[in-house]
Amino acid sequence: MPDSPTPTSVPADHPFRRKGRSTDGLFRAFFAGNAGLTIVILVLIIVFLVREGAGFFPDYRKELVLYRKAGLEFVDLSRKDLTAHEQMSSLLNRAYYAQVNAACRTEFQRSQEVSAVISYVSDAVAPAQSALERVQERAGEEGVPKELQDSLSAKYKELLAAALAGKPGEGLPPTPHLSSEERRQLLSELEARDPLSSDDPPLVVALQEQLSAKQEQASAPLADFRAAIDAFADASLDLDTLVAETGDTVKATKEAATLHEIEIEKRATLLKAAASAKTEEAKAQFETEARESVTTEPVEFKTALQPVLDRTPDFKAANAALAAALAEVQRKLPASLEDPKAGRYLSAFRKAAGEYERELSDTVPAMAAWKHDAPVGLGSTIMGFITGRDWITGGEWQDFYGIVPLFTGSLLIAVIALSLAIPLGVGAAIYTNQLAGPGEQKFIKPTIEFLQAIPSVVLGFLGIAVLGTILQETSMKDAFSWVPGFPIQQRLNMFTAGCLLGLMAIPTIFSLSEDALNNVPSAFAEASDALGASKLQTIFRVVLPAAISGILAAVLLGLGRVIGETMVVLLVAGNRIEIPDFTEGLGVFFQPAHTLTGIIAQELGEVPFGSVHYRALFVVGMILFAIVLSINWTAQRLLHKFRIGHD
Amino acid sequence: MVSDSPSAAVPAISIENLRFQYGEKQVIHDVTLDIPSREITAFIGPSGCGKSTLLRCFNRINDRIPGARVTGGSIRVAGIDIARPDLDLQTLRRRVGMVFQKWNPFPKSIFDNVAYGLRIHGEKDRSALEERVEYCLRRVALWDDVKDRLKSSAFGLSGGQQQRLCIARTIATRPDIILMDEPCSALDPLSTLKIEELLLELKNDYTIVIVTHNLAQASRCSDKTAFFFLGKLIEHGPTTKIFTKPDQQQTESYVSGAFG
Ligand SMILES: Nc1ncnc2c1ncn2[C@@H]1O[C@H](COP(=O)(O)OP(=O)(O)OP(=O)(O)O)[C@@H](O)[C@H]1O
Ligand SMILES: [Mg+2]
Repeated sequence: MPDSPTPTSVPADHPFRRKGRSTDGLFRAFFAGNAGLTIVILVLIIVFLVREGAGFFPDYRKELVLYRKAGLEFVDLSRKDLTAHEQMSSLLNRAYYAQVNAACRTEFQRSQEVSAVISYVSDAVAPAQSALERVQERAGEEGVPKELQDSLSAKYKELLAAALAGKPGEGLPPTPHLSSEERRQLLSELEARDPLSSDDPPLVVALQEQLSAKQEQASAPLADFRAAIDAFADASLDLDTLVAETGDTVKATKEAATLHEIEIEKRATLLKAAASAKTEEAKAQFETEARESVTTEPVEFKTALQPVLDRTPDFKAANAALAAALAEVQRKLPASLEDPKAGRYLSAFRKAAGEYERELSDTVPAMAAWKHDAPVGLGSTIMGFITGRDWITGGEWQDFYGIVPLFTGSLLIAVIALSLAIPLGVGAAIYTNQLAGPGEQKFIKPTIEFLQAIPSVVLGFLGIAVLGTILQETSMKDAFSWVPGFPIQQRLNMFTAGCLLGLMAIPTIFSLSEDALNNVPSAFAEASDALGASKLQTIFRVVLPAAISGILAAVLLGLGRVIGETMVVLLVAGNRIEIPDFTEGLGVFFQPAHTLTGIIAQELGEVPFGSVHYRALFVVGMILFAIVLSINWTAQRLLHKFRIGHD
Repeated sequence: MVSDSPSAAVPAISIENLRFQYGEKQVIHDVTLDIPSREITAFIGPSGCGKSTLLRCFNRINDRIPGARVTGGSIRVAGIDIARPDLDLQTLRRRVGMVFQKWNPFPKSIFDNVAYGLRIHGEKDRSALEERVEYCLRRVALWDDVKDRLKSSAFGLSGGQQQRLCIARTIATRPDIILMDEPCSALDPLSTLKIEELLLELKNDYTIVIVTHNLAQASRCSDKTAFFFLGKLIEHGPTTKIFTKPDQQQTESYVSGAFG
């Protein structure tokens, strides 16, 4: 070639020479921009969460300092005993009533069944009956016209006959606990009843008498127990008054201090405004306002607290009274109760008694050691948040932010959801992938994946309207009374929420498990078949173990979904902020609870912007974010390992 | 046919007029063939002529493939027609073991791989398992290489070692017949040699059917050879005869390397 080219460029006529300008760079920039933006947004979210949340701990600490200085903490030392005492006596009461009610269960059901029949019949005849009544009222001196009276009576008779034959609605309610003799008697009594009388039929009265007789009979041998419970419950009266009185004092101190603080702040704002005021006039105006803004004296915590501290001897006496009452009631408790549920409450009481006694004996030394000006560390504030057993907000006494109840709620619900979703999701995946024919596969996969498309609000709706009601009604049935926690008190509870969340987690677990099973090379299954393994042996000994890390990842991603889900738990979990009562055994799952996600959704809209409460919710959000992130991260790791294992 | 060994008198597998289809596509046409006991029979033929398909009929592993079915004729193993509906497939497969072209140990330890077949057939006794595993691994000349790492994953072995492990896994359940589909096609010459030695050693106890594209291998270690072409059995007989003076022209050109 005549012009020797530079070594870096291809000669112009060579086929390797690139033609035209490449657009690769543009595409590259576009996609890089998309990826970059996503990451920037993620970082911004984290920064935002941290910034809003970070202010929480110093603010909360300030609140806790005031809580201590004003003496609320001091009163709470005893108030805690009071609460424990109430719980203890409630345990005893529950044991007592469980025992009595168990003895009268049949009588109770009988009278309920009778009332159901009566109200069915009354509803049916209501139109004719009320017409009769109205006519009678208006009739006055000369009486009711004969024909009107007759036609209404006929109508009444007709309706009554239809009702007694069970025609309207779903028919006469069943009465499984009444003998057929009694049922017949009831119906004939109803038939004979005067349309205008509101008296109960004799059978009802008789049954009610039976019930109260039975109740009396059942409680007679428990009279000593009853007396012991009452004595125990009454032992807290002194402490109750004491806590109420001193509580008022310290609350006043706290309010005064808060007011003063607000005024000081207001003055500072006004002075700042004055400094930057445009005219002399405005400046003077601001300054006078600033001078007038502080109307209260700074609070002398020590003097304000003195009257409360002076009552320490009273506190001690009340404390001793409680301890004595505890010892007394323990001596008088029956050794055991017949009814299993009552027995469970009783033994729960016995178990808790030691703990309670220790708490009682700790109180007096704690009071002596308590100082209103001891510092509150940042560390203990953080610990108080993480291990705090109370989430109390918007009260006039003191707000506490402890996430343990929320965390327990989330955890228990996740346990229910997973124990439902793992067997169903993984089982369905195994069936679809290994056992089903191609036709079934085509039907099952999209159907299960369709579950994912149901909006969670709709599921929540289903939970409230259908599942909760069905569950509660079922739990009332005799046949299920052996199930722990039945009959269910609350229609909305962790179990319902867990079931729905399990439903939502099934598609995730199913699809990913199915993928994992699908990724197992068929050579493994073929080798196993060729060795004479049965279908199930091949599945459980070769295919499933080979897919296990993928399935675990699927379960973890399902868990992430369950923990992060908000709408269903908010609607269905019952939203009671309390650590569930584990003395119920497995029945604990049928209690309502609140969750990490639910609390944010419920409270964030209502709290004042920038308040401690607002920031606390952000910290909850951060914790939630961290949990879900680490779950997903672990799942990704497992999936990664799974893929590499098959290279 | 010349029948030079007495054991060949009772065929281990006898195939009569077998026809086989994948869906609508017929790939085996009227094959009739007896496979003698305690000998090595080699299947040779060009790619796609149905050797693997026929082999996979013997333990009915083709049942795994949707649409694959025998459409005529019969296969008898130990005198029993294996197409009978009341046949216990698991027992058949236990008696007729199979080694695949691509080695496929389970993602388990070396020990568990060999013990797998025993375990699924109900062997629980630990010492019996250990004894049998050691015996099988010795039999395939793998014991000395792996005896210190029985608990580690089978994937850590070389290709040739993994294939021998698969053979050990197959003989662990004491089959009568071993089917091998190109067991050496992915191995280096040295590993191939080792496996051929192993075959010669195993043939005292097992009937072996091997599919191979390696004509030298077929002539080195098989007693009988069957040549297939386009789904038909063209010729079969003692290996020396097939390779030196076959009856058919097609066989002659195939073994001399003229096509295939
Ligand atoms: N699963 C299948 N579905 C449909 N057709 C198949 C299937 N497996 C094999 N075939 C067809 O059946 C015929 C025989 O295949 P086969 O695998 O038995 O041949 P082969 O002799 O083993 O060939 P190679 O030597 O290449 O392994 C081929 O035409 C092939 O395309
Ligand atoms: Mg083949």
